[in-house]
Amino acid sequence: MNHSLLDASAEAERYIGGLDSRAGDWLAERRRSAVLGIQQLGLPDRRQERWRYSGIDGLLDGNFSADWESTDNPLPPLESVMPDGTQAGLLVFVDGSFQAELSFVNDTGIQFTSLRAAMAKGDRKVLAALGSLSGTGRHAFSAINLATMQDGAVISVSPGKSIDQPIELLHIATAAAGGRMLRPRHLITLDKGSQASIVERHLCLDADGYFNNVVSEILLQEDARLDHQRVQLEGSQAYHLSEVHVQLGARANYRAINAAVGARWSRTEINGGFLAAGANLDLEGLYLAGDGQLVDFHLDVVHGVSGCSSRSNFKGIVYGQGRAVFDGRILVERQAQQSDAHLTNANLMLSRGSEVDTKPQLEILADDVKCSHGTTVGQLDPQAVFYLRSRGLSPSQARRLLCLGFASEILEGFGNVSLRGQLADHIQRRVESIDLENV
Amino acid sequence: MLSIEGLRVEVEGKEILKGLDLEVNAGEVHAIMGPNGSGKSTLAHVLAGREGYQISGGKLRYLGLDLQELEIEERAHAGIFLAMQYPVELPGVNNMIFLREALNAIRRARGEPEIDALGFMKQVRDKARELNLDEKLLKRSVNAGFSGGEKKRNEVLQMAMLAPKLAILDETDSGLDIDALRIVADGVNLLRSPERALILVTHYQRLLDYIQPDRVHVLAAGRIVRSGGRELALELEEKGYGWLSEEAAA
Ligand SMILES: Nc1ncnc2c1ncn2[C@@H]1O[C@H](COP(=O)(O)OP(=O)(O)O)[C@@H](O)[C@H]1O
Ligand SMILES: [Mg+2]
Repeated sequence: MNHSLLDASAEAERYIGGLDSRAGDWLAERRRSAVLGIQQLGLPDRRQERWRYSGIDGLLDGNFSADWESTDNPLPPLESVMPDGTQAGLLVFVDGSFQAELSFVNDTGIQFTSLRAAMAKGDRKVLAALGSLSGTGRHAFSAINLATMQDGAVISVSPGKSIDQPIELLHIATAAAGGRMLRPRHLITLDKGSQASIVERHLCLDADGYFNNVVSEILLQEDARLDHQRVQLEGSQAYHLSEVHVQLGARANYRAINAAVGARWSRTEINGGFLAAGANLDLEGLYLAGDGQLVDFHLDVVHGVSGCSSRSNFKGIVYGQGRAVFDGRILVERQAQQSDAHLTNANLMLSRGSEVDTKPQLEILADDVKCSHGTTVGQLDPQAVFYLRSRGLSPSQARRLLCLGFASEILEGFGNVSLRGQLADHIQRRVESIDLENV
Repeated sequence: MLSIEGLRVEVEGKEILKGLDLEVNAGEVHAIMGPNGSGKSTLAHVLAGREGYQISGGKLRYLGLDLQELEIEERAHAGIFLAMQYPVELPGVNNMIFLREALNAIRRARGEPEIDALGFMKQVRDKARELNLDEKLLKRSVNAGFSGGEKKRNEVLQMAMLAPKLAILDETDSGLDIDALRIVADGVNLLRSPERALILVTHYQRLLDYIQPDRVHVLAAGRIVRSGGRELALELEEKGYGWLSEEAAA
């Protein structure tokens, strides 16, 4: 363990050293202090409550290197993974690096710069904001991202602007990512009273094992409203760690709908906090884990001020030897009166060999609150399967329809049609093709 | 078309059907009546192939096939349809998508071409209108939050779309008011044809005012204790089932 940590620190040092001599990076100081964080925070460990159900042995065995840049690689053809529909902006990241020639922003309400450009220029506002919501992080992987962040999207939406079409952050891992750690980092600010929708897609184009270590920091100022649709469809050998930090100003609204269906191992950590009353946080999610897959969601929602509401609703399907972890923690602090916090998690287990570890935790220190939580783990209803089969559908068709039915509550929340279609297709294909013996 | 001989069925070790015989020919409508718990739904489920029923004796033949050899969906492909007494709610499963997939699964199994989306839509809308089923229900999840009557009409809609050869309607009339009953009966009557057979499981003779059966059977204590023409239903209406059960026991 310590050995890999030393490796990681040394690698980060090398990376930072390389940056100094190349384009110039105004963040060298910040990066160096994050390297210390790698050691101090240490690697996650199953003895820690937050990591009890999610081993990282495979991730460590992959020896994914953070000491590299992807800019020099010629790109493979990407047409097959480009999104359809119209966007207010399309920001493409290949192997963690921004691709200006594949990207556009065509709404004057959006200010965009790539993180790399901001770092090279020494954009003070950006430099000050980086890490302001995340801190160095809770574990070495966050610190590694801060120390060696490659690139990312720095987006701000002007006060009062309403961006109708989505802004898409498209992440594509290509063969060049094999054996490597990608470290994108995004910084999103919605100014007072602005509205936007962001689609965040993580795809893979025939890459072998790689580790996508993503951090996003999102600040919504007063009365701002963000709809964030996130889909993790990484390659089957990939490791994916997403950390989202979101802070809401007075009466702001953040809604994130998350799907995690790809990758061998994936973990999404969502940290939400409120700055003033009247804000609302809405987290939804859908996950699918089959043979050899682990999908993990961690929510940390802190009601630190009064009069805010949060609602979290996650659903998952596991089959074969798949494993899912759901850890939803909602903390309502003593001063956070008139809080409204609800948390639900429902799981559908299609096989005996699959596993779900679900742990809703509501810690309520205030007394004038409305809070609830509920968790279920169930199987396909044999009566429903009989009903469908009696209408001529095969057992696998019946299973597909019922799984899709189970997922539909969340799927329908994906307002982006192309995204919803892609997800629904993926889920249908997977659950229909499950080996019957193995169900 | 359907030939049942000496059928014995157990559920959880308890014998429910105790040597049941029934012969149904193409073009015929049979009514099966009988007191609660006599095994009517058990018979209907066994014909559809539902799991959990132990067939401990007897023969089940349908169009020259041994039914016991067929999977649930294979029976549907072969033209068997069961309108259930308690239709299952399928939250999140769209009624139209479900019905179209079912229809296409049956067509594929029979080597027929799949129906296209437009043709299907038109057909299902027309049939829903005939059954006075609110078109909005087509867009909702299968049976989820439907009233009792809506569920039953949805079953009849499925039957009309899937056009089975042997349809078994398990108490499709219960829970329907008189108008709905007439509509459902009209829907069923439209299906009557020389190639089709219908088995109506019912509690009340009133359904038989609208759908004239060729034969009426009384199922009591796990056997057909009496068979006759339409007049038997009227007799049952008058006297109840008590006298038959006593006769059977004697
Ligand atoms: N799944 C089951 N488990 C246990 N007993 C059952 C089950 N299904 C039916 N039975 C029993 O079998 C008998 C016949 O039931 P059923 O066929 O539903 O009768 P009917 O439809 O004529 O009212 C009843 O005594 C009922 O309790
Ligand atoms: Mg019954």
